Amino acid sequence: MNESYPDFELFGLHFNPANDLAILVSAVLVFLFVFWLSRKPSIRPNGKQNVLEYLIDFINGIVKQSMPGAEGSRFGLFAFTLFLFIFVNNQIGLIFQVDVGGKTWFRSATADPIITMSLGMMVMVLSHFFGVVFNGMKGYLKGYVSPVPILLPINILENFTNFVTLSMRLYGNIFAGEVLLLLIKQLAFSGHGAVGAVSFVGAFLVEMIWQGFSVFIGTIQAYIFVTLATVYTSEKVVSE
Amino acid sequence: MTAGDMLFTIVTFAVLMVLVAIFAWGPVTKIMAQRQEKIEGDLDYADNARQEAKELAEKRQAELKNSKADAVKIVTTAKENGEKQRQELVSAAKSEAETLKANAAKDIAQERQDALNDAKNDVADLSLAIAKKIIGKELDADTQKELIDSYIKDLGDANGSH
Repeated sequence: MNESYPDFELFGLHFNPANDLAILVSAVLVFLFVFWLSRKPSIRPNGKQNVLEYLIDFINGIVKQSMPGAEGSRFGLFAFTLFLFIFVNNQIGLIFQVDVGGKTWFRSATADPIITMSLGMMVMVLSHFFGVVFNGMKGYLKGYVSPVPILLPINILENFTNFVTLSMRLYGNIFAGEVLLLLIKQLAFSGHGAVGAVSFVGAFLVEMIWQGFSVFIGTIQAYIFVTLATVYTSEKVVSE
Repeated sequence: MTAGDMLFTIVTFAVLMVLVAIFAWGPVTKIMAQRQEKIEGDLDYADNARQEAKELAEKRQAELKNSKADAVKIVTTAKENGEKQRQELVSAAKSEAETLKANAAKDIAQERQDALNDAKNDVADLSLAIAKKIIGKELDADTQKELIDSYIKDLGDANGSH
């Protein structure tokens, strides 16, 4: 990963294949994973179904924390897909990073602010949309002047800060993790001779440790992203 | 800027969400809801069954009590009936025995009377025959008188005191 990417232009839009490939691969992986887990569901669950049901209960638990009422059941699927998608996207760059001809072709898509902002924007748009659906336009607009009208500017600003912090937190964590992976890789091949052997073995160990830690960070970040997404949505959706 | 990636991300995510909904989320959450329903149904069923069993046990207890009382009544009635029947049988036997006894006494008296009458007739016949025989022989007046007197005297003894 070296911040130099190939570029495609299609219908006047620019595409970065590094992002698109990673997104496509992780989407396919997520789908295959849940598709495999959900074959032949039965009242008496078998091993695979238990895993999927545990995941579903886990995500429903996150959603119900901020939306305990009937609204919560509407966001289970969205949060479930979002969690698995971000989780796989965070991990995939730890396993595969492809650089060809000085350009990066494959790494975690969530290490690009555009992607995290797309996801963040999706969450925010849905939260505003469902805020109107559940509370009506009047109730939705009332949210900007509550608890007191003087907070209107802060309430408006909050929508932007929520969006930016949600996106940038994920981007920063994953990007930093992958940059450090690259730096450690460079360290591994920096020396020559005996020094090179020492630095290679040392960097190999450090890289392993950092990858392990990054798995942890990626998981936590996926959890945080989904939790905050449901919290922001609940602020709009749940009427006090 | 790569605005295409934004579009690509959102479209991919939307398609993924639809596919997950159709193939995994939908069926599995349906099964989970069914399981919850089934468990609730089973719990309700168990509650009902327990209630029913309790009612049946109470009913059985009450019926047991009733049947005990019935049994006592039946035994009492049977005893009373038996006693009554016994009394009837004994009294019937007594009266029959008395009747038999009375008949027997009457018969015996009759027989005795008949026997006595026969004996009288026989004595008369015998005395007549003896008289004829004696008369056939030669009799003087004294002997004859003595003879008749002793005869009458004997007869009177035999007839008068027995």
